[in-house]
Amino acid sequence: MARRKRKSSGVEYQDIELNIMPFIDVFSILNIFLLVSASFLSIGVIKVQVPFFTNAPVPPEKAKRSLSINVDIEKTKIELKTSYSQPPINEKIKKFDNNEAGLKDLHTELVSIRNQNPDTDLVTVFSEDDVTYEEITKLLDAIKIRLPSDPAFANKADEDDSEVEKMKLEGMLYPKVVMGSVIL
Amino acid sequence: MASFENKSSDSISLNLTPMLDVFSILVTFLLMTYSTDPVSHSTREDIALPMSSTIAVLDEIPAVSVTKKELWLNDNKITDVIGGDVPETDRHQGAIMPLYKELVKIKEVNDRVLESLDPSSKNKKSKKGTLTMEMDSGHNFKLMKRIMLSGQQAEFLTFKLVVSKPVE
Repeated sequence: MARRKRKSSGVEYQDIELNIMPFIDVFSILNIFLLVSASFLSIGVIKVQVPFFTNAPVPPEKAKRSLSINVDIEKTKIELKTSYSQPPINEKIKKFDNNEAGLKDLHTELVSIRNQNPDTDLVTVFSEDDVTYEEITKLLDAIKIRLPSDPAFANKADEDDSEVEKMKLEGMLYPKVVMGSVIL
Repeated sequence: MASFENKSSDSISLNLTPMLDVFSILVTFLLMTYSTDPVSHSTREDIALPMSSTIAVLDEIPAVSVTKKELWLNDNKITDVIGGDVPETDRHQGAIMPLYKELVKIKEVNDRVLESLDPSSKNKKSKKGTLTMEMDSGHNFKLMKRIMLSGQQAEFLTFKLVVSKPVE
């Protein structure tokens, strides 16, 4: 706090000024720290799995009648195929355009399927070779991400999921995606 | 901006208010965009990541990086990428042979470390690995499939695809 004494027409008074230098020091240090540690591009990950063949016996829960959801992506179209593992198979095929509107429709359809089959949390994706990584990312977003307007689903965590991943599960529509085309 | 007092004392005082204004705005902006992601990572120069609305954050440094022209595993260049694919000499049954060999080495090292930490895990089935992969958004699934096949053969069954997401 700085004080100055002035004399004006014989009256003595004190002019008080706020010492803002420590404030500026703190701001400078904070600025430098934030500028150095700032990341202007946020990076995320999309977790997918590849199939693996094993001769281990089929777990008993897999032997039950369950729904299988397959998504085939091509350069211009996306095909959604659903079928049950045991009769009645009840196979259904729906086609969508590989564009923003088509992906939105696909997402709506997947939400409806999940509503009817809340235990099914896995989607198998098959892709043509000429589909770009960007298009696959958009498709994975449509499959995995639950929008705020979508209902919440109870997703089970995997054994190898981290605590952070377990926390994020409630924001997922289908948390498990297998890249079915990755087979020798 | 300096202000001059032309009085008997001739004192000069610096007007710091505009500087404080700028500092306040800058600090507010930086605090708003401050990322608390567990891992901070800069992608390679020639990789344009695809945009995604994923909620999962990066939790480990990517191991496989595919730029427009090269394929890297950690800091080792594995092979070139020509016309969106690896050279024919590096291909084997759809996979990338040099990448597979390197991944097998990494898997062996990982298993040995696990074994040294927990000797009882020696006779157990080895844990399936996870591979974090960053790739240029323009590459085709053909190349992605080759990398995944190489990983699959080396028992890396989970892939974390690195994407760019909007800053929250």
